[in-house]
Amino acid sequence: MKTARFTCLAALAVTVFAAENNSFLLRNATVHPVSGAAIENASVLVVDGRIAGVGPKIAPKGKIKVIEGRGLHVYPGMIDSGSPIGLAEIASVRETVDAGEIGDFNPQLRALIAVNPSSEHIPVVRANGITSVLVTPGSTGGGRGAAAGSLIAGQASLVHLDGWTWEEMEIRRAAAMQLAWPVIRMPRGRGAGIEALLPGLAARRATFAEARRSQQQQVQKIQDFFDAARRYQTAKAAGESIQPDLRYEAMIPVLEGKLPLMITAVREREIREALAFAARERLKIVLAGVRRPGKTLEEIAKRNIPVVLGTTFVTPLEEDDPYDEPFTLPAHLHKAGVKFAFASFGVQFARNLPYQAAQAVPFGLPYDEALKSVTLNPAQIWGIDAEYGSIEKGKFADLIVTDGDPLEIRTQVKMMFIKGVPVDLESRHTRLYKRYSARP
Amino acid sequence: MRTIIPAAVLTVSALLAADVTVIRNGTIHTVTKGTFKGSIVILDGKIADVGEKVMTPAGARIVDAAGKHIIPGIIDAHTHIALDSINESSVSVSSMVDVTEMLNPESISIYQALAGGVTVCNSMHGSANSIGGRNVVFKLRWGADARGLVFDKAMPSIKMALGENPKRQGSPQGLQIPGLASPQNLRYPGTRMGVEDVIRGAFTRARAYQREWKDYETRKARGEKLLPPRRDLELEPLVEVLEGKRLIHAHCYRADEILMLIRVFDDFNIRGVTFEHALEGYKVAREIAARGHAASTFSDWWSYKVEAYDAIPYNAAIMHRNGVLVSLNSDDAGGAELMRRLNTEAAKVIKYGGLSEDEALAMITINPAKQLRIDRWVGSIETGKDADLVIYDKHPLSIYSKVEKVFIDGRQYFDRDEDMSRRPKIESEKEGLRKKVLEQQKQAAPQNRRPS
Amino acid sequence: MRKNLLAAFAAALLISAFLISAALAETVNWTAIRGARIVPVNGPVIEKGTVLIRNGIIAAVGAQVDVPASAWIVDGNGLTVYPGFIDALSSWGLPQTAQAQPPSAARGAQQQPQQPQQARSWGPLDRPGTFSWVKAADLLQPADPRLGQARNAGFTSAVVFPRQGIVAGHGAVINLGGRTAGEMVVAPDSGLFLALRPSGYTGFPSTPMGIMAYFRQLWLDAEHYRQALSMYAADPVNIPRPAYDRAIEGILGARRVLLPAADPVQLERMLTLAADLKTPAVLYGVVRGYEMAARLKQAGTPVILNVRWPARDRNADPEDRESLRELRIRDLAPASPAALSEAGVKWAVSSEGLDSPRAVLRALKQSIDRGLRREDALRALTLTAAEIYGVAARLGSIERGKIANLVLADGDLFDDRTRVRMVFIDGVRRLPEPEAPAPQGAAGRSPSISEEEEQ
Repeated sequence: MKTARFTCLAALAVTVFAAENNSFLLRNATVHPVSGAAIENASVLVVDGRIAGVGPKIAPKGKIKVIEGRGLHVYPGMIDSGSPIGLAEIASVRETVDAGEIGDFNPQLRALIAVNPSSEHIPVVRANGITSVLVTPGSTGGGRGAAAGSLIAGQASLVHLDGWTWEEMEIRRAAAMQLAWPVIRMPRGRGAGIEALLPGLAARRATFAEARRSQQQQVQKIQDFFDAARRYQTAKAAGESIQPDLRYEAMIPVLEGKLPLMITAVREREIREALAFAARERLKIVLAGVRRPGKTLEEIAKRNIPVVLGTTFVTPLEEDDPYDEPFTLPAHLHKAGVKFAFASFGVQFARNLPYQAAQAVPFGLPYDEALKSVTLNPAQIWGIDAEYGSIEKGKFADLIVTDGDPLEIRTQVKMMFIKGVPVDLESRHTRLYKRYSARP
Repeated sequence: MRTIIPAAVLTVSALLAADVTVIRNGTIHTVTKGTFKGSIVILDGKIADVGEKVMTPAGARIVDAAGKHIIPGIIDAHTHIALDSINESSVSVSSMVDVTEMLNPESISIYQALAGGVTVCNSMHGSANSIGGRNVVFKLRWGADARGLVFDKAMPSIKMALGENPKRQGSPQGLQIPGLASPQNLRYPGTRMGVEDVIRGAFTRARAYQREWKDYETRKARGEKLLPPRRDLELEPLVEVLEGKRLIHAHCYRADEILMLIRVFDDFNIRGVTFEHALEGYKVAREIAARGHAASTFSDWWSYKVEAYDAIPYNAAIMHRNGVLVSLNSDDAGGAELMRRLNTEAAKVIKYGGLSEDEALAMITINPAKQLRIDRWVGSIETGKDADLVIYDKHPLSIYSKVEKVFIDGRQYFDRDEDMSRRPKIESEKEGLRKKVLEQQKQAAPQNRRPS
Repeated sequence: MRKNLLAAFAAALLISAFLISAALAETVNWTAIRGARIVPVNGPVIEKGTVLIRNGIIAAVGAQVDVPASAWIVDGNGLTVYPGFIDALSSWGLPQTAQAQPPSAARGAQQQPQQPQQARSWGPLDRPGTFSWVKAADLLQPADPRLGQARNAGFTSAVVFPRQGIVAGHGAVINLGGRTAGEMVVAPDSGLFLALRPSGYTGFPSTPMGIMAYFRQLWLDAEHYRQALSMYAADPVNIPRPAYDRAIEGILGARRVLLPAADPVQLERMLTLAADLKTPAVLYGVVRGYEMAARLKQAGTPVILNVRWPARDRNADPEDRESLRELRIRDLAPASPAALSEAGVKWAVSSEGLDSPRAVLRALKQSIDRGLRREDALRALTLTAAEIYGVAARLGSIERGKIANLVLADGDLFDDRTRVRMVFIDGVRRLPEPEAPAPQGAAGRSPSISEEEEQ
């Protein structure tokens, strides 16, 4: 029943406002600007896609469309800080996956241009209140035959989850350069199993020294690539005539500290090395996928390095870790003063981004921080907070209208606006639902 | 020579549970008998009383649950946790194997799942075979040995699988076993047609085997001297299925294959099957319900493979509305991840499909209990049932809730406060052991250096 | 390397031909070890006494023993005589190819041409990885250089098992020296070695549970085969003639099975399996013996302990955190022998995984430091091992009638300064030999039979 009503509302929104396009007054709702405290019985005035006013006493100007928001809540649209959405459709079918190019260094690749605006994932994900995604070019790890992870995967692009073409979806063509910090890969032995004890039964494993050496070679490769890019940058700046190189060209904004380098680094060692590298190279970085920062946490905080956290829906890394280790990590970061945002780092469960943030709340993360971590924080981290991330005058009207807290599972998203334009909340899922609910 | 379990091991839990516990003043979600503020009396591991007003026996241990929520222990009808091996994938019919003997009571997944409110799970053989191995239902009695975990009242069951997984080894692309890339090593079947054939063939052989033994017994009874048939461990469990003594949990995705299996079962008169995943179950919900079969599905998984591309989060709701007994499962294997938040998975059937709170909670408690044929003992908060209970600090269908205490058979197996206070102790024990080992190495060192 | 082996083999042939002809002379050979401290294991220590050996068999032991005039006298002053040590699970004397190889090596380029291509097994009837007709006693190589090293450490016997596949074949109790392979064998039927890791085939069974199911089917098939054979013998007209099955023939002769059980979890599995196979089990690969003692005692199941005590992998990532479980195992494993002895569990030791046979004594010394009584350690190395394999009437103690396998050391066994001065095998004295630098794989020196002293 509830769903049926919600569908009607959404349908109404589309038909009524399609003509009006991107100006309206939403009134009598509880507005959660995120940048400040919630305002009850308030209105949001949207003119030409931008928020023109927020507050309890805003009168409709002229013939503007009025949307009744009684009993509803208005939030900024949520932002997923990392997902190959649009690049990957069916994880196990390589032909449908365009994340993870071959080769170690591909800074010239741009995720945006391969985003499929017709992906069935896009409507599914936005139906849960997510309006924007940082589309990452790196390997998802899934898909048979997918290339093993490269070092620099390419440029991640910020997109809106709506548009006829990827150009229309674009927020920032290049929002970050994606780098995976090399990991020492040691197959862990199985304790005191028989295999470990009987000679001939245990396959010879790589020694730590060997694994370390091969990791250091990877690190050296990164260093060499940066050095070469810098020589290119210097030569170019000096006006020398040089052979144009798209890869080095793409690295210039990173070297200039204009484009953040988003470095995936999970454990303390990789984080430590990545931090040292970034300091040496004077780069602007964002750490991604952090699970066990250990002693580096202090430095991350001190250097104001933002962090993109992956899903909290994982098991503890090690046997002896507290059972709630993945749930408490966001609170630890918050206490240390680290700014972080959440990423789904996937497609299938990208729609669960809000729950991923909410899961940290019963384990110590203040609710407001959880909400920020999927709205204002990512906008700040990706440098679009002047226009996105909160409900403030002058910002774009990326809004969701809900019947409650959008981080709570049972809450329904009733309406969505991207740049003030109402967005369809139907998806493959609702279509199949309707179709088969009506099976005679 | 049958192996004998020390009596002590078996009775430990019973002795510890012999006292009386009263959980007081909580919001009790019985799942089957409504939700109310009240108390639960636990005696000898069973729920002795539950209601708004109960008698508190003198000397009872009191657990104050004011402001808290209590639900029956969560039952996960489909996991692969705590198994040292999961998949005997070499053959298309692997009914001779039993994951029960692979149950590893030391697996930390058990504790992690327990901390998420799960008290019973069905840990199953994998899905690489049209007919897989035998499964094990166990209670998460962390600390017990393998035998002490097993919930022996549960009906035995066997795994089956349809679609992409069982046919993978039948396709040249799917066959990834090193050294086996030659076509004669392809494992039949490679198509959904072949999957049906394998299943039909196996049950046909099982029938013949059943008859062969019956004939033998008859003739033997007549006094004939004859060689007994060769015992076949592959066919024996299938005969049990034919005799209604063993349940089937059939992994499946697409509507066509679900319907196919229903029809095969019609022919062999097999009832009461649980279709696992059944992500397109919503398309044939009526057919599933018509034969009294059940379904255990995911809340919102989709698109990870082609056969999951039509999966929708409304699946559970549609099947439920068509009269299918539906449960939600985790399918956890490596570690207990989804298992520990099945409560919020259940909340998703409210979001997607608009089911009620009780209907949602039923999908992780009484419904899986029915599917595993253990609903006489577990799955709801009712007098006489096992005291498998979970105390949450908030409404269990809220993402903001967390598990505070878990009881199995009336005994407290998880307590968040205890867990928290144990953490520094674990760290200090580890530190101590590291030092001790180092010292021992130092002592042993001069001896080792002696030239020989 | 091949040339060396050939040469050694030719030499061995020549010498053994000579020795056999010498033996034909049917003279009685007496040897007496006099004035030694004697630790008979089955009885009280004799502070100064004599061990008299007649044709390789212990003829008398005691403080006062009449020694025939023809006896060759070994001065035992200052020496202690122990029964020869027995490695209860070993591959000494067996061709290295008959043993399990690391999977990486098996897949490697150096495939033996005569080794058949791995065929895919589709079910129990393919008898995958089954070598139950193989007997270690038929594979012995007296020229194995490892025999000499073992003797240097005081080992005079070993129980050796083939190691291919999952039903690897029958073990043998052997003496670690002899003129011929046949002479080395004390008992050719010491148990059937079973493994739970797929090896020697691909396909079914690919998991431990599949292997266990296969074992059960195999034993059921064996029972059926036995029944079919006897019924056919009685009634060849009506009962179809059973087809010969070498895999099953091998099963029928198994008096015990060796099964792996590192910890209490695997222990329960193996006890159930052994019960289903209706065959007594000896458990090998035992690591967490300290937790298994009571259950083992109750089940009456003997174990072979791995005395390579678990230690932190030198290759481990220094930033890796060890789990509490690993640390506890590491701490407690050396306490297993004491726990097992206290509970009255029969246990013996295997040198497998250790750098050298000598390391067995050092490992046991660690256990002595953790509460193991010295006499229990010695018993595990000698009489208990013999009991486990049913050869206690012939080996394991210094008693009249037993094979004269003895160790003469210049002090207490578990004292680090103690050295083995000589061993006797079948009454033949063998002096310590220089050791080959690389213990495994390398040809090293052949056991120099020239150093063997005739009486």
